[in-house]
Amino acid sequence: MSIRLPDRELKKGSAELLVLSLVEDRARHGYEISKLIESRSEGMLKFNVASLYPLVYRLESRGWIQGKWVEKAGQRRRRYYRITAQGRKVLAAQRQGWKQFAEAVRRIAGVDYA
Amino acid sequence: MPDWKRIVRERLAALKLDGSQESEVFDELAQHLEDRYEELLEAGVSPADAERLAIEPLNTSPSLVEALSRARHPREPEPPARPNHLSNLLYDMRIALRGMQRKPAFSFMVVGMLALGIAGNAAIFSTFNSLFLKPLPFRDSARFIDLDETAPQWNLHYTGIAENDLFAWREQNTTFDGMAFFDNPDFNLSRMGPPRHVQGAKVTRDMLDVLGLKLVLGRNFTPDEDKPKGEKVVLLGYSLWQTLFSGDRGVLGRTLVLDNEPYKIVGVLPREAVFPDRAELWVPLAPKSDSDNGWYLSGIGRLKPGVTPLQAQADLTRVHKAMIGAGRSVNKITSPILTPLRERYLGDFRTTSQVLLVAVAVVLLIACVNIAALMLVRASSRAHEVAVRTAIGASRGRIVRQLLTETGMLALVGGIAGVMLGRLALRAIVSLLPDTMPRWIDFQLDFRFAAFCMVVTAASALLFGLFPALQASRAEVSGTLHVSARRATFSRAQKGTLNVLVVSEIGLAMALLVASGLLAFQKVTHVDPGFRVDNVLAFEADLDEHKYSKAEQCVAFYQNLLDQLRAVPGVVAAGGATTPPLHGHWGQFFRAEGDPPRSPNEKSPVVLQVLVTPGYFDAIGMTVVAGRQFDDHDGTLKDHPVAMVSEAFARQHWPRASAVGKHISYDYDNKGKWWEVVGVLRDEKHYGLDGEVRPAVYLPERQWPYPRTLMVVAHTASNPEALIGPARKILASIDPDLPLYNVHTMSERLDRSLWARRAYSWLFGVFSLVALVLAAAGIYGVISYAVSQRTHEIGIRMAVGATPREVLANVLRRGMVLVGAGTAIGLAVALAAAGLLQKLLFGVSPRDPLVYGAVVLAVVGVGLLANAIPARRAASLDPVKALRTE
Repeated sequence: MSIRLPDRELKKGSAELLVLSLVEDRARHGYEISKLIESRSEGMLKFNVASLYPLVYRLESRGWIQGKWVEKAGQRRRRYYRITAQGRKVLAAQRQGWKQFAEAVRRIAGVDYA
Repeated sequence: MPDWKRIVRERLAALKLDGSQESEVFDELAQHLEDRYEELLEAGVSPADAERLAIEPLNTSPSLVEALSRARHPREPEPPARPNHLSNLLYDMRIALRGMQRKPAFSFMVVGMLALGIAGNAAIFSTFNSLFLKPLPFRDSARFIDLDETAPQWNLHYTGIAENDLFAWREQNTTFDGMAFFDNPDFNLSRMGPPRHVQGAKVTRDMLDVLGLKLVLGRNFTPDEDKPKGEKVVLLGYSLWQTLFSGDRGVLGRTLVLDNEPYKIVGVLPREAVFPDRAELWVPLAPKSDSDNGWYLSGIGRLKPGVTPLQAQADLTRVHKAMIGAGRSVNKITSPILTPLRERYLGDFRTTSQVLLVAVAVVLLIACVNIAALMLVRASSRAHEVAVRTAIGASRGRIVRQLLTETGMLALVGGIAGVMLGRLALRAIVSLLPDTMPRWIDFQLDFRFAAFCMVVTAASALLFGLFPALQASRAEVSGTLHVSARRATFSRAQKGTLNVLVVSEIGLAMALLVASGLLAFQKVTHVDPGFRVDNVLAFEADLDEHKYSKAEQCVAFYQNLLDQLRAVPGVVAAGGATTPPLHGHWGQFFRAEGDPPRSPNEKSPVVLQVLVTPGYFDAIGMTVVAGRQFDDHDGTLKDHPVAMVSEAFARQHWPRASAVGKHISYDYDNKGKWWEVVGVLRDEKHYGLDGEVRPAVYLPERQWPYPRTLMVVAHTASNPEALIGPARKILASIDPDLPLYNVHTMSERLDRSLWARRAYSWLFGVFSLVALVLAAAGIYGVISYAVSQRTHEIGIRMAVGATPREVLANVLRRGMVLVGAGTAIGLAVALAAAGLLQKLLFGVSPRDPLVYGAVVLAVVGVGLLANAIPARRAASLDPVKALRTE
């Protein structure tokens, strides 16, 4: 059985971590988040309008990120997301989980990153 | 530029969020599409292609609407910053409510199961409570005791008290604060509008003191009024005072005409005078110390503080037996019998209520077990959530509290729904109660009932909430947070717990089904009553002793009434009898020709005696098996006394010879008047289909030397109720002072006599069906869950060559082991508990193999069905997909 990377489950599991990480330092709007995921993963990971917003709203409904409409001079109204205190704790926990997972895979498979 | 907002709105029309939220989502998505479009344009894509590419993700994602609406539910509120018990609780409750909304099917199942269980409990408990637990509406009601006499030698448990004994008991006892005696006669009340029939009580003047009642108006009977030939006075009941005199306080001294005799009103009873049952007025009993009226009185006594019923029993027995020496030798046979008041009037219902309570408790238990299993399964799917909460610093106590609040809320909603349903059910039960139920029993919901429901609800909440909550909070944090382990699996111990739950559920349901099967298999309704049930009307017209003081007057009255009734179109036959079937008992002692001699005070067992008019047996549909029935030629007592006897009587006295032509006589009759037996009647179920058959003697009423009242029985060609109007007219034309009363069809009577049996068979049936459904749901849920857990394993099995058939067999086998274990346990419980049912069963053994066999088949069948669905699902798995789920 062939395993295709990034596997759908893997992507789903990691997506929360990705979004939380991107809004950790500053507030970002949805399109910006999707562009950043695509560019920083060098095209490996892609989120479009249909896959991104359900995820973002879910994180918001759990209270891990918070969205706010912002109007800047000369620009249209956009919704910016920033991480909440609770979101930071979850992010820390998920990072820890990923590290352990990656470490485990490395020990068994002898690769540097999963 | 395309209208992005319109495009988004068209594609997400089904989203249905509330207004402002929806427009925000559309705005945000439209903005995203626009950004993407502009980026594509900048990269040199043509406007048409750019638009197509930007919109494409919306078109290819059919579940977007669902995903968005799920994610866009209102955000859970932040937990309060500072710990505060009340706000914590409110917060937990808000979260719990939201959780219930989010899982409507789960919540509905839990609430529904609880409501079913609690409704049954609430209804049956409050019936039980009103009958046996609530204090009776009398002062110091626990000290009240029913007095009576018993005579096992006469085959009578209660004989009634003889007037002669009353005086000795009352004067010589040392254990009672007071004693009162009474009889329950009916009166015709006339000269106050249309004649009406009232239930009265003849009481000794101690009754007011014994019951601790204060009159609203006037005075008690004087000692002289309570003596033979005393002045005729009456104490008016409260409701009669209201209806007849509109509560007029000037009523004292006025006259009430009862059975054509004037009675002076000397007082008005308070509303609380609900004993003797149904009495609308009291008149003095005026007992005679040298009476020959036999045993007919009821008695009530109030024990001195600290005296037990057993001590009182010994005390009265001493007084009673001492009278033997003074010449009352019949007291060798009779003895006082004392019964706590409630026991005497409601003893019949105690076993029924207790058995039903057990059944209901079992259903509630099954519901709770089921819910526990559901919660346990759900807890595993929430393990991830719990792990995240733990990771972000929630303490274990905090999480347990949250989960408990959730289950507590479910229990609360289930409890409220259950109590409301239960009140409806209580109303239904009360409407089924027989009219012999004492009126002083008050079926109200009281605080004990409310408390009971609260306890049941809280206990079930704990039972099914705490356990899974503890399991869930024990979930390994790092394990469940692990990406590849998002779907937590059960530990061996948890699986074991689930299996135990399912097995016990099946066992309990099985035991209940056996009980209801036994009740349903009773052969009561197949019993031949021995009399006609359909198209028969019975009613009474009570002749008062004053106006009809001679036997001939009574004979003439009934002959006239019956002749006119027979002339009404549609009447097939009509006759009268002192006690038709299902209308009580009038006993006598007889001796029969050829009986071995008896000692002077020895009497044969009591025999049912019925006086009948010609035509009665045709009207009631009783069968003459030998000889002939009475006819108009039988004449009076002076001519030639004749009698008919029942098969049971004939068997008892002349087991080897024909009864026809033999003679019988009253036991006490030393002058040797003998009645010739002219016919034998087939036994009738006089005391109800489930009642005993006593030997019976039937005598022509015109040969009876004293005045008497008969019940009239008419057999009609069609609807018997159509006869009520004409009968009333005929009666009024013969004697305008006589009311027609106690009007019932025989089928109504029969229904009423069977109500209890029918009601609890029915209730039991409902309960056990509910139990079976709950148990099936439990099996289905657990096996489905087990299959989903084993998907990977099944995939591997199939990949290495297992056929779907083998998989099916494997899953079924595992499930059926649980069903088998539950069935075995249920069988054992049912066999052990069968003794409890013994008293309620009629014509069926508590170990009836047919019932047990049928129930085992039913339970195994239902278990098979519940297993088959997940097993088939497992067998139809695609092994490739199954393996990919890991």
